[in-house]
This record gives sequence, structure tokens and C-alpha cells, in this order.
Amino acid sequence: MAEQPTTFTKPGGVFRKNLNLWIVLLVMILLPFIVGLVEGATLGQVWTNDTGISKFVQGLAIEIFILALYALSYDLIFGITGLLSFGHSMFFATGAYLTGILLKSFNMPLGITILLVIAASFVNAILFGMVLPRVKGITFALVTLGLASVFHIVVMSRELGDYTGADVGLQGVITPEFISPATERLRFYFVALVILILFYLLYKRFVTSPTGRVCIATRENEGRARMLGYNTFYFKLAALMLSSATAAIAGALHALYQPIVSPNVASLGFTVTALLIILIGGVGTLSGALIGAVVYRLLDFGLRRYMGESASFISGAIYVAIVLFLPYGIVGTWMLKSLQMKQGWRRIIGMVHR
Amino acid sequence: MTRNRSSATWVRREGTAMMESFRKNLLFWATLAVLTIFFILSARGMHFNEWVITLLRGLSVGAVTFLVASGFSLIFGLLDVLNLAHGTLFMIGAYIGWTVFVRPDTFVDLIPVVALFLSGFLLSELWLHLGVRISGGGWRRIFPWAALLIAAALLILVLPHYPVSGWNLKVFSESPGTYAFMADQGLLVLPAGKPFDTSPALVLGGILVTGMVTAFGISLFNRSRRQLGRQWLNWRQFTGFVLMLAAGILVYFYNDALTAFLTGINSSWLFLITVVVTILSGAGIGALMESTLIRPLYSRPIYQLMLTLGLSAIGIEIVRAIWGRPEFTMPKPALFSGTGEGCPATSLGAWLSHQCSTFLLMGSRVRVYNEVFIPLVGILVLVGVWLLLKRSRLGMIIRAGVQDHQMVEALGINVRRVFTLVFALGVGLAALGGVLAAPSIGLSNAMGESLFLNALIALAIGGLTSYPGAAFGSLLVGLIQQIIIKYGAIGIPIPFTDILFKPTPPLVPASTVLLMVVILLILPNGLLGRKE
Repeated sequence: MAEQPTTFTKPGGVFRKNLNLWIVLLVMILLPFIVGLVEGATLGQVWTNDTGISKFVQGLAIEIFILALYALSYDLIFGITGLLSFGHSMFFATGAYLTGILLKSFNMPLGITILLVIAASFVNAILFGMVLPRVKGITFALVTLGLASVFHIVVMSRELGDYTGADVGLQGVITPEFISPATERLRFYFVALVILILFYLLYKRFVTSPTGRVCIATRENEGRARMLGYNTFYFKLAALMLSSATAAIAGALHALYQPIVSPNVASLGFTVTALLIILIGGVGTLSGALIGAVVYRLLDFGLRRYMGESASFISGAIYVAIVLFLPYGIVGTWMLKSLQMKQGWRRIIGMVHR
Repeated sequence: MTRNRSSATWVRREGTAMMESFRKNLLFWATLAVLTIFFILSARGMHFNEWVITLLRGLSVGAVTFLVASGFSLIFGLLDVLNLAHGTLFMIGAYIGWTVFVRPDTFVDLIPVVALFLSGFLLSELWLHLGVRISGGGWRRIFPWAALLIAAALLILVLPHYPVSGWNLKVFSESPGTYAFMADQGLLVLPAGKPFDTSPALVLGGILVTGMVTAFGISLFNRSRRQLGRQWLNWRQFTGFVLMLAAGILVYFYNDALTAFLTGINSSWLFLITVVVTILSGAGIGALMESTLIRPLYSRPIYQLMLTLGLSAIGIEIVRAIWGRPEFTMPKPALFSGTGEGCPATSLGAWLSHQCSTFLLMGSRVRVYNEVFIPLVGILVLVGVWLLLKRSRLGMIIRAGVQDHQMVEALGINVRRVFTLVFALGVGLAALGGVLAAPSIGLSNAMGESLFLNALIALAIGGLTSYPGAAFGSLLVGLIQQIIIKYGAIGIPIPFTDILFKPTPPLVPASTVLLMVVILLILPNGLLGRKE
């Protein structure tokens, strides 16, 4: 973990600091309309959610936003705080299932549902936190894996089938009318986009805050951080709680967007998805989670569409290639290169000035 | 005077050490006691013979788990690599074993290809020297890629012309499932071998050249990491090369005779050959994996996770492409499959003379292969690897390497070679587990995952890098799962009520996982793991 590029701080206000982000945001806001125009539909048709490629692209983008939010939350505990957890899918699945069950079986309004989901996510984080002082490293990974697989089994069990739908998955969740993905998809798209951007900014702020700095110190050398007088446990717990809440919200969005919440979202495979995404993007770089999610989902989609059955063979080969040739992920490698380039430029300028 | 005082200190120190070690291991003894009580209690509600059979089944599951777990733990202990592809390698071992056992003709057809292809790799010293001569300056980066591309092109060009009498996934009557079914019924008729459509010499030569180009390309990649020897040809390597080449060509000429020999012999001997071939090919895959893919990643532990995950996905896809998705079975060797008169056997002599698949133990049937043979092999491997670790020089190096491999390297031992050997050994053990498990649980694309999870739990319970821990944990996992499955059938009486609690199938993995969590919370290093 020692060789990761640290986050840079640039001068300037919120706008200048995140210039790239605002450009991306602008593109994402315009994307449905641009796709609509290319397709030949009018802006009005896009606005009123007519079926077409634009609506399809919006759907794909929403899935990417949800994955990105989920990967972002994993990056906070794995990339920033350095806790290798194999139970992260439990956070996501709690959000997804609780939202679905509260909306479907208890007819709760959406606002209260979200509040309850966040409360449950804190309970989850505290459950993981209880384990924290006892076990470290790979043992922590195994214990969290154990907790998550118990959760997976509970979700799959026939006894709770009336609520969770057992191994078929949770179906028939009626999303509130005003953000229904069928009729109001554009609105859902913007809601998901705004939530993602807000959490991204929050995470950036968190990482540069004193708390986040201690989290990074914990990752680099926990013993030293303790010796400096920080009780690292509380910082890890804080990171876990924030991460858990984020993942739960991603899960809630997933439950609202997808017609079926499959029990696969509680399995180890879904944690591995998050791990792959941030390894593709770059561990410990927050923007890496977003870019990794885009690459992962599009790759998955494209391969499945054009390769059919051999898709996972090729995606496996691509992951191996990324590991061997892009050792710090896309964003991490890019940061290193740009740093080197900057130093090179500085040297050239220095030579000219002299 | 001094001696007196020192001996007094010695006694005191020793006494404190004993107390301390007892106190340290108190939790371990307590856990052991609780588990013993649990097992004795578990006999309630069962007849004694049922209980014994459940324990035997647990032993069987434990033995297979142990074969996977021990390899994983050796690799993790020495190399610090979490090999997440271990379950997939277990599965690949099962499929390779099936091919050798059910379709010896396919196996014999493939020997020349593999031998000729791999013989190129034995000339690594030559390729290194050649690489230094040829590639200089700007070509350095492009050259290995070019070599690999040429090799891939050659392979695509040559390989389709080599006839392999295999199976056809698209035709039902020629699918692996059909062959497996026929072999099970004893009706297997091997299809006739296919003829070459071009000159055989050209095809075989092409494969040889392809292997050489591939080896050349790969050697160019890690050229900088190795010291060049003085001679172009290392005599040992060259002898190996010639032997491999000769073996390949000989098998090509005596193809039919060898096939006839393999189909003619008793299937128990064939099974023995299968096991040996599977272990060797597993070890070969492991050595290749370590030396080409994992070696560049020792400095980046997290990326090994992703690499092995990717390899695992690739492995499953390869198995699906070659053997197909449907599940099929593997027949048991003749020694364990008799069902005629005199079966089930009542004594050892009767079993030997009739070679029954089952024998009677206190009035109930015990399957010989599943419940006696597999645990026996497990114990054999346990003792064998234990002796290797404790009594041989290699074992000494491995144990020292687990403690501190930088120190061992500093002492002038080629740790890299030991790394490759241990990786090969670990994968070989997993492959052995696969071929042993195949006749009892059948072959499927998913057999690797569930077993790997079991092995991981077993290791966490026993202690991640501890070899006896792997054995103990596997045993525990196997026993608990089988007992819970048994209680799923007969139900547990809840005290003071008449209700029978019947554990459902999902509770089987959940129980071991819960045990793991509890044990890890009490003893973070597992039952037998050492403190960091």
C-alpha cells in the first residue's frame, strides 16, 4: 500500500478545484439530450421520456451511477483507510432489501424509508466495527466475509421468503410515481447523478479533512498513527459508517431502479465487483472509482452483447492485463505520468531560464 | 554459587513459561473441549452406526477440503499470495482426471502436442543468450510482443491440423455427458482415431517451433532479472529437451498401441495413472502460473488478488469451452465398484475378493470409495507432506521461508526456485483433490467455488499459515457440515418440548461460517496459528 499516489490539493475554490468534475457534470446533464438529437428525436420527446436509445442510455448511465457510488464507498474503507473487507456487499444489500421491503410490505413513504435505511447502515457499520479491535488484515477480511455470507444466507432463506423473495429475489417493489424509472426516467437519472456528485464532493472533503488524513495515516502505518496519539479505532469506525451509509443509499437506488433485487447483490461476487472497479480505476483515488465503474459496466455490457458466452473469458483476460500493465489503475497511472510530465516540463523551463 | 543462582532462575523461568504457554493456549484447549462435548452430544438421537457413518462422511469431506486448504496455506505462508484461483485449479484437476480416465485416447493424442510444445521451454538458457544477441536498442520492448504474436499466429495455423479424437459439445451422442454415462454403464466404445489431413511431420514440427518461439518470447520478458550462465547450452537442460522431444515423438508413433494398453488394463491401474498424470499436470500449471504471471507481482500484494481472480474467471471459461456446461459423472475404479454377489462385503477378505463398492459396518452400508478410500488418501498426503516439511532440506527451506523469506534469501538460497516448487506443489495437491473428489461428487463448473469457500473457512479456523491447522480445520468443517446434514434428516429435539428442529440446507455453510467468526473473534490467529 505504500506506493500509492497521494491525493493532490490544488489551489482555488470549489469550482476551480474540481474543474474536470464540473465539465463531466455538464456533459452528463446534456448526454440524454445529445443522444436524443443524434438519434433523431426532438428534445421534447426526450423530456417526456419517450422510448428510444436515449432512454436506454439513461438506464445504462443510472446503473453506472449506482455502481460508481457503491465502488466509491468501498474505496473509502479499502483505498483510503486500508481495511480489506470482503463483506461490503452486505452494506449494499441491506440498503436494497430494506428499501424494497419497507416500500412493498410496510407501505412506508420514501423519506422515512431512506432514514431507516441510513439508520440500519449505521448498525451494520457498528457490527463490523465491533470486530475491528480484535482482528486485522486478512483475518478481518475473512470475518467480514463470514458476516456477509451469513447475511446472504438469511436473505436466501425460505423462512423469510415472504419478505425477501428467497432465491428468486425481491420483486414487485412499486417505486413512487415521481421518480418511477419507467415513466420518469429522466428525473431518476438526474436524481442519481446529483446524489453521486454530492457524495463524491463529500468524499473529497472527507479525505482532505483532518479525520480523512488520520484515515490515510492509518492505512500507511497504523502503529505510527497510534503513537501520535490518535485512537485509530474511532477513525476507522467513522470511515466504516460513512462508507456503509453510502453503500446503503446506492442499494436503495438499486432497489428503486431495478425490477428485481437479486440475492446476488449480497454475495461475495458483488464485493469482488467493487474491488475490481477500484482496482481498474486506481486504489485510493476517488475519481478512480467513478472511471472504473464506467469502464467496468461498459466493458461488461459490450462483451455480453457482442461476445455472448465467452464474455467472462475476455473480461478475465482484460483484468489480468490491467493488473500486469496498468499497475496503479487508470487514474493512478495517469496521476503518476502527469506528475512525471510536470516535473519534466519544469526541468525544461528551468533550462531555458538559465 | 553462580551456577546455583542461575539454575534457580532457570527453574523459575521455565515454570513461568509453562504457565504462560498454558494460559496462552487455554482458549485453544477450551475450544477443543467444547467441540468434543459437541461431538459427543451430537450422537444423541442417532444410532451408533449412523453416528459412525456420519463421522466417516465428515472425514471424507474433510480430506478433500484438506487437499485444497493445505496447498493454499503452503502458498500463502511462503509466498504471501492469496491464490483465489485455487478452487478453479481444483476443478481443472477434476476435469483433467476425467479425461485421462474416461477418454484415454484423447489423453494419448494430446501427449505429443504438450511434450513438443513444452520442450521449447527447457532450452531457456539458449533463449536468454539469443535474446541478448538479437535485441538491442529500441527493439527491446517490441521484440517479446512480436515473438508472442508470431507464436499465437503459428498456434492458430498449426493446431487445427492436429487431429485429436475428443468429444463434440454440440452433438449429444458425442458429448462428454454421454461418454461419462456410457463409461458408468461399462458400455464405453472409443471412437476411431482421426487421420492427419496434411503431413504429420509438418504439423509436429510446427508445434515444436511454436513452443520454441513462445519460450523465447517469455524469456525476453524477464531477461533483466536473471544472470546469464557462461555456456549457451546447459547440458542438463539439453538432456531434458531431448528426452521430452523423444517422448513426444515416440508417443506419436505408438499412439494406437498405447491407447490399446490404457483401455486394456484394469481400471484401478488406470485410476492410479490418472492420479499421477493429474498431479503432474496440476504441478505444471502451477509452475507456469507462478513463473510467468505471479512473479512480477510480489511487490504488489493487492494486485495478486485481482490477478488470481481474473485467472479464476478465465479458468472457468476454458473449462466451459472444452468440457461444456452440463454436469457429468466419473466412474469409480474397478476396485471400488463391484456390486455382484457377495456384496456388500462383511469382512476385509470378502471385500478384497469381490471388490465391493460398499461394505457392512455394524449393519449399515459404508461406501468404500467415498468413506474409506478418500480419507485414507487424505491421511497419506497429510503424513507425506508433513515428512517433506519436517524431514527434508527443501522442507527446512520452506519452513524457514514461511518465517522470514528475505532472511533465507540473504543466506544464499535460491528462494525463487523454492517459490515455484511450492506453488507447483500446492496446485498439484489441489488437482489431486479434484480427481479424488470427481467420482464421488461428479464434475460441474461450480464445484471449485463451494469447496474453495470451505477450504478458506477451514484455514481461518485452523490458522492461516499453519499446516496442522489446515488439517484440523478441514476435519472440523467436514464433520460439522455432515452432522448438520444428518440432523437435517432426523431433526434435533429441542429440550422440554416435542418440537423437532430440522436444519435446512442453507444452514450447512452458515454453521461453519458462524463457527469461523466465533473462533476468529476469540483467537484472531485461528486455533493453531502462531501469533504475529
